[in-house]
Amino acid sequence: MAMTGETSTQLALRDPDIRLMLRVRNDDSAAFAELVELYHQRLVTIMQHLVNSAEEAEDLAQEVFLRVFRGRKKYHPRAKFSTWLFTIANNLALNVLRTRQRKPAIPLNVRDSGPLGPRPAEQLVLDRERSPHDRMQQQELAAIVQQALGTLNERQRVAVVLNKFEDMNYAEIAEVMELTTKAVKSLLSRARENLRIALKDYIYMERGQAGQAEPKGADDEEGEV
Amino acid sequence: MSTLNDDDRANLTAYLDGELDEEAAQALEAKLSQDAAARAEVEELRQAWTMLDYLPRSSPSATFTHRTMEKLSLEKLPVETGKMPAAGGSVWLSPAGWAAAVAAALALGYVSSQHLWRPVPDPDEPLVKHLQLIEKWRAYEAVEDLEFLKALDHPDYFGDDLGS
Repeated sequence: MAMTGETSTQLALRDPDIRLMLRVRNDDSAAFAELVELYHQRLVTIMQHLVNSAEEAEDLAQEVFLRVFRGRKKYHPRAKFSTWLFTIANNLALNVLRTRQRKPAIPLNVRDSGPLGPRPAEQLVLDRERSPHDRMQQQELAAIVQQALGTLNERQRVAVVLNKFEDMNYAEIAEVMELTTKAVKSLLSRARENLRIALKDYIYMERGQAGQAEPKGADDEEGEV
Repeated sequence: MSTLNDDDRANLTAYLDGELDEEAAQALEAKLSQDAAARAEVEELRQAWTMLDYLPRSSPSATFTHRTMEKLSLEKLPVETGKMPAAGGSVWLSPAGWAAAVAAALALGYVSSQHLWRPVPDPDEPLVKHLQLIEKWRAYEAVEDLEFLKALDHPDYFGDDLGS
């Protein structure tokens, strides 16, 4: 969020990560390692949802951290540290998505051995916890939601992912995406309407998973994905 | 059929996200209370949003930080940026030429420093300089009284010989 009127000292007092980053600016590698440890999980998750590939997400997250280190001398605390970090991540992800559009790759089915599938060890844990029917439905829903997210344009996807997974408010998203708050509101409105349309016919499945409502008849029409 | 117009629809998401101002939120709520189809639409928006929780979240590998630091250490290796001297015959200046070159360089340096080069003050310099103080500021604030802080150092309170 833009924190107009706040001095960098006030920001540093409030945000411990800014203090860490200032130590990084002074070439403190230990502080950098601490920042990587603090943020890598969140950053990989965001990248994964943006570029739709777990492996690529790790490489990109690593590149974001390296860019943070390379740009450390130019760092000036003007907002929360996370806002600055996700601005770098957003720029990198958008570059990757645009390059990919120019050179489209063959899409993988996320339900099979695709990059978004859980790692083998995670899959074993999941398998033990759920019945085969639940597992199938869970995987099916994950694939459907992934597909629905894929129908959004790049900027809509970034706004959705930051709002949903980073819990950022509109002003923070605007800062990261270098847009106005009004533009973010409009972007998210269109994105969520697209998601609603894409997922409308699958909501009963989600309710079934949560055990809240009876599923619709099996002869229901396919969704508009 | 829902009675919501385009503006209302544009506001629905902001309403669900708590980003709509009070007046607009109340106006929208009044419409929703009269319109079952619109309420169903809102519910679908909400449910579709919840469904994003099904997206897989894989954990980064346990070695992520280590690998990043390793890559960083490779990047930090000193890089030779200076140009290699050109192969072939070198060009020698006469002593007078050297003197003229040095004088010209000095004059240029002086003029630049006086007129062209203005050091840009780093607004964060005091912050970086006093970072250690800032990091402990909350603790210092809680102390209030310097005499009290000095008294805490007395051996009777937290004596040095506790471990002996």
